[in-house]
Amino acid sequence: MPDALSSTVRMPENGPPPQTFWSRVRARVFRPWMVIFCASYIVLVCLIAVFVPFLATGKPYTCIVPAHHGVPMRRVYPLFRDLTSVSWVLLVVTGALAVQGSCVFFTRRLMPDLRRRRRRVWLAVVTVAAVIASGLIVALHHNRLDATNYRSLAAHEKITHAIFAPIPWGYAAMEPLSKNLINKLPSQRHWLGTDGEGRDVLSRLLWSTRVAMGIGFISQFIALAIGVVVGALTGYFSGMVDILLMRLVEIVESVPLFFLILTFVAIYGRHIFYIMVILGVTGWTGYARLLRGEFLHLRQLDYVTAAQASGLPLWRVLFRHILPNGVTPVLVSASFGLAGAVTIESSLSYLGVGVRPPTPSWGQMLNAAGNPATVFHWWQALGPGMMLFITVLAFNIVGESFRDTLDPRNVNAG
Amino acid sequence: MTSYIIRRLLLMVPTLLGMTFMLFAVVRFAPGLREAGQANVAQGMMQSKQAQKQEQMLVAQRLHLVDKNGHPISLPMQYLLWLKSTCEGHLGTSLEYPEPVLKLIEQRLPVTLTINLISMIVIYLVAVPGGLLAAVNRDRLFDRGYGLMSLALYSLPMIWVGSSLLGFFANPEFFNWFPAAGLHATNTQSMDFFQYIGDYFYHITMPIACSTYAGFAFLSKQVRGSILDNLGQDYIRTARAKGVKGSTVMLRHVFRNSLLTLITLTGMSLPGLLGGSVIVEQIFSIDGMGRLAYTATLARDLPVIQTVALIGSVLTLLSYLAVDICYAMADPRVSYA
Repeated sequence: MPDALSSTVRMPENGPPPQTFWSRVRARVFRPWMVIFCASYIVLVCLIAVFVPFLATGKPYTCIVPAHHGVPMRRVYPLFRDLTSVSWVLLVVTGALAVQGSCVFFTRRLMPDLRRRRRRVWLAVVTVAAVIASGLIVALHHNRLDATNYRSLAAHEKITHAIFAPIPWGYAAMEPLSKNLINKLPSQRHWLGTDGEGRDVLSRLLWSTRVAMGIGFISQFIALAIGVVVGALTGYFSGMVDILLMRLVEIVESVPLFFLILTFVAIYGRHIFYIMVILGVTGWTGYARLLRGEFLHLRQLDYVTAAQASGLPLWRVLFRHILPNGVTPVLVSASFGLAGAVTIESSLSYLGVGVRPPTPSWGQMLNAAGNPATVFHWWQALGPGMMLFITVLAFNIVGESFRDTLDPRNVNAG
Repeated sequence: MTSYIIRRLLLMVPTLLGMTFMLFAVVRFAPGLREAGQANVAQGMMQSKQAQKQEQMLVAQRLHLVDKNGHPISLPMQYLLWLKSTCEGHLGTSLEYPEPVLKLIEQRLPVTLTINLISMIVIYLVAVPGGLLAAVNRDRLFDRGYGLMSLALYSLPMIWVGSSLLGFFANPEFFNWFPAAGLHATNTQSMDFFQYIGDYFYHITMPIACSTYAGFAFLSKQVRGSILDNLGQDYIRTARAKGVKGSTVMLRHVFRNSLLTLITLTGMSLPGLLGGSVIVEQIFSIDGMGRLAYTATLARDLPVIQTVALIGSVLTLLSYLAVDICYAMADPRVSYA
């Protein structure tokens, strides 16, 4: 498609001239409706991962405990009281991102004259505040374990005016055995049926987004961090550094990825944070190779020589001058890396070496759908399978679209 | 050429050393290694304290933690000793099975390699013509549709496909068309050769389906890209201008030049196939390398895990080497002086 990009750039005679590289990329990438759809889906899944405690939980947002035994009537907020520290941290981080995003958006639109530096200071303040708040939460917040069955309390009118979440089931809430609601098909009570322990499949499906997105994003963040440093060093200093570090890349690459991950998981355990680190530590080689290629090309350019000549320290030349020009293909491949990490996490959980139950994960739910050779509860497999498929496909489509756009073979000069 | 191969081999030495050191270190610093040694001891509960101590010493000696007199060995020496015994073929004994690791792998490696070879052939048979057709019909319906289809297939999670295949097509509740597990029927003894082969292919149909569908996307996209690259070259225009038939141009000029990409990709995809086999083998209960690694993971059977990773990575390095040499031989333009 030789004209595809230039056609979006062609402007009316008196219109504003075509702007930056990124505006062109944006126009090209986000044109197809499918890519817009996929990007929104990813955002939606991330939002679900953050707000799932408010979507699928057995605790009411609020309810009134009537007067009993001399205790006066009072209003309680069980859901907010029992939020875990992970939930709080996620809320804080999301809030900070929202503030920053709207700040950038509105200052660009409404106050174009605002100096960049001022905006940066403001963004930094919000970031620092979020980090401090998260630290305080982790240090001070105690997770409460509240096993009260608010649904039955409400049914027996021990509490009144209770407002429940849209899906009034927690991920670990089991139906009592007496009700015989195990492995049931979808019904009004459980929209996607129940699993082998009488737990709501839909609730578990939504809670799994946390594990999937958390492992996906954080592991790829770690991988990017390692890959960027190694790639930058190898590309910038060729010679001995290059030879040695590329051997390191080869060493990590030489062991088949899944065997390597299994080895690490077998030895260092299967806590969710370990899995994040393991996926990060084993998945950085592709980024390093890509960035090495970019740096090999960029370091010969004049502006790099100028930066060196003006006496800038090495890290500044590497990461402030060269990196921004070479990081794009790496970020694009991070989209595929994310899809891969989500897949690997689900595979590990499927094999029973992923996150520990009862924390739900799509792979684990697929595994629990039954020993297929004898009994196969298709409704338990359909949901997680579809979610996995669509999530991975969305990341792949966005990545593919970006890559096609950035591919020099598809870009006409000008 | 010879000097290139020699240099390539020399570069492999540090990689091999580093890789073996990584595997050694990962296992050496595994938390619970000493406990594993003690658990071994605990099996012989009835032994006297003296005998227990002796056994513990033997375990420590086998892991090269102490020498014959019970003095601790320094870490580099431990590595060298381990490397020496590995090179001599003493890969240890499995903690789970009463067999040497090498024997376990001897039984399982051919299974995995056969299945992976067959699935690779299937992938090439679909993806190469697909990529070729997509390149010829660039930006038309076939290209778009094929690209999207293969991307969607690539994104389908193998665990879902595998368990659904098994749940729907090997299940008396739905369709009982294929066998649910294993590679052979129980009565292989009474079969003649063709029946045996037929039975084998009947058994591997679903595993092969499961391990191939994801491979189409990457390969055909690369083939398409490299063919498009070559189509834009001057010599293609020259060939067309002098009146060479269209199909001949495609096959003799374009495709042959794209073979270089294919060689590279073949080498790069080998380790992926070996690793991907863990899930397929586990779902379809095939006793191959992947399943061995998986069961060893669950049992923390460190010698087995270590050896599987070692053999996997040696095979990978060898395939990279083969790729580089093939590349150097196939492309006379590239000089490796």
